[in-house]
Amino acid sequence: MSPPSARLLGRRPTRLLGRRRPVRVPATRPAGTALIEIDRLRVELGGRAVLDQVDLVVHTGEVVALVGPNGAGKSTLLAAIGGDVAAAGGAIRVDGAPQSAWTSTELALRRAVLTQRSVLSFPFTVAEVVRMGRAPWAGLPAEESDDPIVEECLAATDVARFADRTFTSLSGGEQARAALARVLAQRAAALLLDEPTAALDLHHQELVLRLARQRAAAGDAVVVVLHDLGLAGAYADRIALLSAGRLRAVGPPDQVLTGALLSEVYRHDIEVLPHPETRLPLVVPRRQHPTRQRKEPPT
Amino acid sequence: MNRPTLVGLLAAALLVGPVAGCADSAANPGAAPEPATCGPVTAVVADDAVTPLDPAPQPALPVTVTDAAGDRVTVTDADRILAVNLYGSIAEIVFSLGLGDRVVGRDTSTDFPAAADLPLVTPGGHDLSTEAVMALDPSVVLLDDSIGPPEVLDQLRAAGIPVVRIGDEQSLAAVPVHIREVAAALGVADAGEALVARVEGEIAAARDGIADDAERPRVAFLYLRGTAGVYLMGGEGAGSDAMIAAAGGEDAGTAIGLARFRPLTSEGLINAAPDVILVMTKGLESVGGVDGLVAMPGVAQTPAGQQRRIIDMDDTVLLNFGTRTGKAIQALARAIHECR
Amino acid sequence: MTAPVLANRRPLLLTGLAGTLLVVGVVAAGSGQVQIAPAEVVASVLHRLGLEIGALPAAPHGENALWIVRFPRVVLAGIVGASLGCAGAVMQGIFGNPLAEPGVIGVSSGAAVGAALAIVTGISTLGGWTLAAAAFAGGLATTYLVYALSRADGRTEVVTLVLTGIAVNAVAGAAIGLLMFVTDAAGVQAIAFWNLGSLAQANWNAVAVALPCLAVGLTAALASAGKLDLLALGERSARHLGVDVERLRVRMIVVTALLGAAAVAFTGVISFIGLVVPHLVRMVAGPGHRVLLPASALGGAVVVIAADLAARTLVEYQELPLGVLTAVVGGPAFFWLLRRTRRRAGGWG
Repeated sequence: MSPPSARLLGRRPTRLLGRRRPVRVPATRPAGTALIEIDRLRVELGGRAVLDQVDLVVHTGEVVALVGPNGAGKSTLLAAIGGDVAAAGGAIRVDGAPQSAWTSTELALRRAVLTQRSVLSFPFTVAEVVRMGRAPWAGLPAEESDDPIVEECLAATDVARFADRTFTSLSGGEQARAALARVLAQRAAALLLDEPTAALDLHHQELVLRLARQRAAAGDAVVVVLHDLGLAGAYADRIALLSAGRLRAVGPPDQVLTGALLSEVYRHDIEVLPHPETRLPLVVPRRQHPTRQRKEPPT
Repeated sequence: MNRPTLVGLLAAALLVGPVAGCADSAANPGAAPEPATCGPVTAVVADDAVTPLDPAPQPALPVTVTDAAGDRVTVTDADRILAVNLYGSIAEIVFSLGLGDRVVGRDTSTDFPAAADLPLVTPGGHDLSTEAVMALDPSVVLLDDSIGPPEVLDQLRAAGIPVVRIGDEQSLAAVPVHIREVAAALGVADAGEALVARVEGEIAAARDGIADDAERPRVAFLYLRGTAGVYLMGGEGAGSDAMIAAAGGEDAGTAIGLARFRPLTSEGLINAAPDVILVMTKGLESVGGVDGLVAMPGVAQTPAGQQRRIIDMDDTVLLNFGTRTGKAIQALARAIHECR
Repeated sequence: MTAPVLANRRPLLLTGLAGTLLVVGVVAAGSGQVQIAPAEVVASVLHRLGLEIGALPAAPHGENALWIVRFPRVVLAGIVGASLGCAGAVMQGIFGNPLAEPGVIGVSSGAAVGAALAIVTGISTLGGWTLAAAAFAGGLATTYLVYALSRADGRTEVVTLVLTGIAVNAVAGAAIGLLMFVTDAAGVQAIAFWNLGSLAQANWNAVAVALPCLAVGLTAALASAGKLDLLALGERSARHLGVDVERLRVRMIVVTALLGAAAVAFTGVISFIGLVVPHLVRMVAGPGHRVLLPASALGGAVVVIAADLAARTLVEYQELPLGVLTAVVGGPAFFWLLRRTRRRAGGWG
């Protein structure tokens, strides 16, 4: 429940100056609509092309995993979709219009971003942090459901028992889950998650990706940056393999996760084996047996 | 900030004089100065601090005056007078007029015995406290621009207290003007004229007392504060120049082109080459007496420092241009010219 | 600190602070060289409002002392404290750092340069207002300079802002030193005294100027309270949630400059209010800006009124410089806060 003082002080003070045109609330899209369209994207940082000629379309109802070696441009691509870096070439469309066509708030209603690291400058509680995800909906009718949505997201990421603790007092993994709860609370159709599993234990890694699948099933478009190729293979509908700023391959896991392609991109001998029961791809780097030092008994 | 009483000063002078090897003719006015070796001397205003007119005049009220700031002020009651400024001169005038028993408060520079026990209304020396004034419930306030801030005057006027501004020019010519202004505001114009005559007579007598062919030694007025090594020298328009000139000396600061009070480097002081250094008594104490002053950089290289010709005088009479100005000039002249 | 406890504390804190403000205000209005009892203070106010309850002050000029000297001073002290407290909270929200305060962006030093210029040149085109106006203009100009110098590619980064602020503050300090060198002894004294901070020149005219500045600044800040909360997530995440970070930053810098300059112009440099008060409020009621901003304003008002009371009553017949008093108390308080919050897990809280 929101504290009584918040209601007393008013959630939405009247505007003092000027009138804004009304916020365009996103309509529900049927599954399979192209929500994010990336067209020949080129991003330069410090004069160097970090992404070049990237074409990708993300539809509602699917989970797309962005994978690739370090420095391939995965986070940059996510940042470009999120609107944090400018495109030097090409274009990105969100919900049918270029990013610049939407106001900041309207974009926030359409896409939610989970960054790699979660920072918090002041000691807000976990519940307060998750509630911040509802900020774009202030003043709109959906604001009424803030409380139940916050509770639901807290429970979904298994941080409900931390609700009243300060965010900064949580462990790294718990903070990551709380941040994810905030992103989920934003109820945006496009979810952009940058390595959400990095700090999580096995149990919670699976939890988060199951959540991603649930959101996709509910009609969202989910883009996830992952390091773990096995997770990508198990949970993603499509995998986009990036290498040196270019999209090496896009497609269902069994097309992209092949030994030959992965070995070439990751520059290491990689085998892809099917799981005996589930047939899900197991990505295994070929390793040498480590030499063992054995002490010879004195003769 | 309590000033030593006049008796204490006299005693100190009696002690210092013989020790320094120079007879202090202030102790016995009228005695011929001894042409002994000259050294540090305290110039003391010999007579009683403030001589009131006798009999005390009766104010003829109400009176409306145009004060020095151009405002028309009506004074209806002179039973509770507050006369304050930075130099203490206005209070001095009121007491000299014989109206001292009506004064209800004082400023930090007013320390003659008759006024020393009055409550202080200028906590910092030059800033008036509105509340302190209100607490005394005066019926008329006399002050000048040396004391502020201007907002306080507005507040006092808003409280219905008549505030009369007196001129604040610090010069010999302005002394009679100020006396007349104070007397007019208090409704005792005739007594004012009598006081003017007395003061002008004292100033003239002091000037006449200096022989025409007497040498005019170079006198530098130094404002000292502690041992930080920075001191101010008085130049043209500082007030000290007028006193030194009237006492038959040549103001060193004016000679080297200083205006008002300016910080002086030790080299500047050496270039000014004063024969006599004039300081305030409190300032001299703050640098550790004559020895401390002579030890300051630049001082020992001046003729004044080499011969230890240091004259100190009480702060409240040297530069206040009040009713004791004539006597102050006399004392200063004696101190400057006595060792020749 | 659990949420229900915090939630209960918030309305309590606000009403508690408001009540304390009233009490401190009445006590401060009753203290001084003219003896006025607190009951007489209240009675005087009621009489002015048309309610003939209680006895008016008995001391001579008691009413005058109250309405001409004390009330303007207490009210101005409250306004200054509220301005500084609110400005401090806003600065900390914008910079995402509890060490930020209005002085960082150059308000105090710029105002001091303006005041020093007015003192040295002796200009008095606006009469008694010249000094305050010059200080006000100086504060705004320096803030704008800091902001403009730290802009790059249409954005201002927090670190650049702070570093530019440090540089500009240093230059302002040197400028003041130069002005003090050029002027005479009286000018040096006037500048030095102004820098120490004092409410001695308080009058209703000053209140009439400072109060609208506080009203506008506080309202504008409150309107952005939610967005300031979101800034705690970091610039990037705040932007993802729909906050126009650049515009918010500009707006809040203007608000801080307005609040800070209005305070400093009338009273000289008073430090640590904007630093310590929001910190204390956060410790009690959490960092949410909807409560932090008004509570910091109320808390700042209480602190400055109390400090001014101490400044004029601690030593008989003397008035301690207000800025010195707040620094003497605020400095050690800040050190204590610093050590205490560093020890807690997670750092700044």
